[in-house]
Parts: sequence; C-alpha cells; structure tokens
Amino acid sequence: MSKPKRLHPIASVLSAGKGLKKLLFPLIALIISGGSEGKISLLITLAISLVAVIISLIIGVISWLRYTYRFEEDELRIEYGVFVRQKRYIPFERIQSINLTEGLLQQMFGLVKVQIETAGGGEEAEAVLSAVSKDDAKLIQQYVTVAKTGENHELKDEPEGQIVFSISVPELMILSLTSGGVGVVISAAIAFLSQLDDFIPYKKIFGDLEKWAVHNIIALAFLVFIGFFLAWVISLAVTMLKYANFNVIKTEKDLIISQGLLEKKQITIPLKRIQAIRISENIIRQMLGYATVSIVSAGGSTANEEESKVILLPIVRVKEIASLLKEPLPDYQLEPALSSAPKRARRRYILRIWYIVLPIVAAAIFFFQTWGFFSLIILVVGTWWAILKYNDAGWSLEQQQLCLRSRTINRTTVFMPRKRIQSLKLRESYFQQRQGLGTLEAFVKSGAGDSWIAVVDLERSDIQKVYQWYSRERQRELSS
Amino acid sequence: MKGAKPMISKPQKRISQKALTVWRISGVITSLIGWLITAAAVFLLHIFDLPGWISIILIVLAVIFPVLHIFLFPTLRWKSWRYEVREEEIELEEGIFVKTRTLVPMVRVQHVDTNQGPLLRKYKLASVVVHTAATAHTIPALEETEAEELRFFISKLARVAEEDV
Repeated sequence: MSKPKRLHPIASVLSAGKGLKKLLFPLIALIISGGSEGKISLLITLAISLVAVIISLIIGVISWLRYTYRFEEDELRIEYGVFVRQKRYIPFERIQSINLTEGLLQQMFGLVKVQIETAGGGEEAEAVLSAVSKDDAKLIQQYVTVAKTGENHELKDEPEGQIVFSISVPELMILSLTSGGVGVVISAAIAFLSQLDDFIPYKKIFGDLEKWAVHNIIALAFLVFIGFFLAWVISLAVTMLKYANFNVIKTEKDLIISQGLLEKKQITIPLKRIQAIRISENIIRQMLGYATVSIVSAGGSTANEEESKVILLPIVRVKEIASLLKEPLPDYQLEPALSSAPKRARRRYILRIWYIVLPIVAAAIFFFQTWGFFSLIILVVGTWWAILKYNDAGWSLEQQQLCLRSRTINRTTVFMPRKRIQSLKLRESYFQQRQGLGTLEAFVKSGAGDSWIAVVDLERSDIQKVYQWYSRERQRELSS
Repeated sequence: MKGAKPMISKPQKRISQKALTVWRISGVITSLIGWLITAAAVFLLHIFDLPGWISIILIVLAVIFPVLHIFLFPTLRWKSWRYEVREEEIELEEGIFVKTRTLVPMVRVQHVDTNQGPLLRKYKLASVVVHTAATAHTIPALEETEAEELRFFISKLARVAEEDV
C-alpha cells in the first residue's frame, strides 16, 4: 500500500528530549556537587554533562532514522529500535482507539502525535508515532474505519457527530477553582526540593529561619500563606490549560473527546468498550452541586495514571448528567433512586473510625497533656467523615444495571450494566453477621485500576437481592 | 437443579480433605522459618542489651503462631471452603473471620489454569484458578483428577458462552 515512511525529523528532538528528561536530575546534581569543589572539577562535570547531552541527541537522531512505518496488507507496520531492532505489525481491524496529541513542538510544525491502542492493555500504547503530518494521521484513521466498517468515506477535518458536551468559560473557572490540584503542586515542589537535599544547606537555612520565625510568627504565617496561594494559582493555571476547549462528540460508534490549549489532545473511545460510568464529587463540588463524570473503559494503556481515567464531563451540574448522557449512552439509567444503608450501620461506620482515632487521641493527651487536647479536632473531623460515609453509602438496581455509591474522600457513584460486571462478591465479617449486615463488592474490567467498588454495611437482604439479580441461575429459580 | 429457595443457599461442594494435611505441613514450614528469625532476633536483642520484654513478646508470638497455623486455621479454613461450578456460573465461599461469597458468571470467564506446587503435587492435589477480564479466583487443593475435569468443564463452557455483550 505504501513505502516505508519516517516520522518528521522533529521526532528525533522529541526522543532526545525524553532521554534528557531522565538525565536531568543526575546532571544537575553532578554539576552542583562538582561546581562546589573548584573550577577544574566544575569544568570536568560540565564536559561530562555536555557529552551526555550530545549522546542523547545522537541516539535521538538514530532512533528517528531507524523508525519507519508503512501501511501494508491492511496492517500498520512499524520497525524501530536502536540496539534491538523490532518490528510490530498491527492489523487495522484490531485497532481499538487512536489518540491524537499535539504538544507545543508538534503544533509549531503542524504535526501530531498518534497513539494507537489495541484491546490488550499494557504498560504503553501499542504504537506511538511521535510526529507525523496531520494528513498521515487522518490516513491512519481512515484505514481503520474502512477496515472496521468496510465503508469508504472521506474523513472530515472535524469529527462529525453530535456534540455531547462543550465546556463553557464559567464551567472551566469552577473546575479549576475546585480542583484538588494544590496538593499535587505542593507535593511536586517538595519532591523537587528533596531531590536537591544534599546540595542546599537546609539545616543552616532552617536554623536561621527558626530563630527569625520565633520573632516573626505573623510574617511566617504570611509566608506560608503566600506559598499556598502560589501553589493554588499554579494548579489553577495547569487545570485551565488542560481542560480548555474540552469537547465531547458522539459519532456513530465512538465518543471523541478533545481538550487542551497548549497541548491539544484527542481521545477516541469506542462505545462498545465502555464498561461503566463513574460520577465523582469532591466535597466542595458536591456542596456547589457539581460533579465529574468519567468512563471506565476496557483496554488502553496503564503507563499514565492521568490518561487511564477517561474524563467524559470534567465539570457538570449533577442534575444535568442524566439528560446530557441520555442520548449518547442510552444503556445507562443515570438518575438512580438509591437505597441507603440501614440505621444500625451508622454506629459501625463511626466505630470503625474511632478504633483508629481514639488511641491516637488518648496517646496525644497522655504525652502532650494540654496541647494533646487539640487532637480532639481529629476525633470531630473523623466522626463527621464517618457520618458522611454512612450517608453516602447506597445502592440501586435497575433491570439491567447496578449502581453503587460510597465515599472514600470523594463521593463516588458507579453505574455498571449487568453484562459488564465481571464478578460479584459479598462479605460478612463476624460482627456484620451478628447484625445482619454485609459488604457488597463489584468488579468491572478496565484498562487500568479503578475497576472495583465496595459498599460497606448494607442490609443483608438487600445484598442478597443484588446477588440474586446477578446470578443467572438464581433468577431462573425465582421466575420458575 | 434444586427447587426455589427463599434465601441464598450455600454452595455444596467441599475441597479435598487432604488440603488439611498440606496446609498443616506448610504451617510447619512457615513456623520453622519463623522460629529461625525469632531466634536470630532474640540473639541480637540479647547481644545489644535491649529490654528483655521484647524478647518475651517475640517468644510468645513464636509459640502462638504455630498453634494457630498448624492446628486451628487449617481446620477452620477447610470447614469454611465451599464451591460449586454450574453450567452458567461459578460460586465460591470461604473465609474464617470474614465470610466471602463470590459469583462469577461463566460468560465472563476468560481462561482457567490449574496450579500445583511441590506440596500439592506430593499429595496429588491441584488448585484451579479462574480468570475473568478483571479478576482471578482460586479454588485451592482439589484432587488432581477433579481439578483437571473442572478445568476442562469450565473452559468448554466458557468457550460456548462467547460474548453476549
């Protein structure tokens, strides 16, 4: 069908960049430690770093030279590898989804990164073409649709179909303001600083700081506040860039999600592969009446935690979810009438937290006396959390769908069609047994993690209802 | 099959009684290893002159652990194990302190393995592992022949029941 082609030369820069990223910290460490020992050693370390950079550039170029792709006999055939030569042939009809990403570099040259995934989940996408022209990307998409449907129709520039969701500016603002990204930024900063642990004289800095802080508690509080505020602003910006232009389109057989400002992404999810729908609400969003809806999809790569969770509606009013998704996902009944856990379960929810918290509080009071009483705050918060957990636990059964809800930190509601549930488990501990309670667990398949939900302390007879609903033979027994 | 029952009936089949022996032996082996480690720890504690109560706790644990793992747990575990493989689904029940009941529809089964460690082999036993796309379920210690039959039975049914998805 076609001659072997190379990626755009910019791919060599991309792959060199990937190599350099791994070298970044060791090199910085090397330069700092070398630099502190005099001019000559600084020169040597700089030379070593230079050599490392040059080598990774050369490897980048070679790997670009070695990487070819072609379309042949209804297969995408890739050959690559610097030290170990590899060939990978992927039949078009086996391709499950094609994801397109345009990073900054790709955008500058009008290119696109194509990630090709088959049904086998694995660490990474089955094939990654890191820089190809948009025309070639379209060609691949077209080959795949032809191979799958047997129809040959021109692909339009913009995917055709009905728009399911398109983020508005106020929604983007709410999304960014309520995202939990602050913690991520702070922990990233801490991780970064701890990498440089050996080179920055923290002891000295903090020693001085301590002396200073004792006299300037207010200034210190102010500094901490500024730090948090900065982290928050950064996370705000990151979220906005990531979810700007978020857009979901439903075509005949797929959902196509596009998003991003600096890095544009387009993900294709075959409707057939959707295993479950998950609605999650963090406390702030819950109070505002908003939620995030994501898809549990089979297959896909597990390498990137972020990418494995396919977010369908990043921010949406809880009330609107059902009407928004009614047409694209008619199999799901997203307005559940949840039954909750029985009253007597509440005590168990609270006790479960107290078992952990009470000893801590007791120890704190014992060791720190007056100051230890502050640990009572944990007790209050813990109890409040336990009551929230109890209130949120719930289940509902439709004809062909099980819905379970529980809370860890966020409140999570999972909708699972009966035919997508892989297995069902019920559990009764000794204490649960005595009170006629039990735990219900359901498993669905997913490309990566998150394929499981459990609801604790439901009424035993309720759990048995679900069990019977799921069991093919029990159902027959009932109906006969 | 059985007539309609008001509550969920227990799965009927038990695993091989020889499982008890195997579990006891493996309990003995882990206990021996545990004792070695305890002995080393007590010795070190003594050398470094650390408080004696730590050693006492360790020794008490070293006495209790074998009693549980050689005598008590195998019996309880064996008593709690039930399974049933029917045409349309597999049902498992187990658990000493926490009773777990698992239901796996035959249509969801991807493949079945039988496993046999050296101990199991000596007693002509094998465990059957049933894999779905998302989970794996083990039935431990069945008679070799029974395990083989079961594997054959399940894989045949699983193949028939391709995808109703």
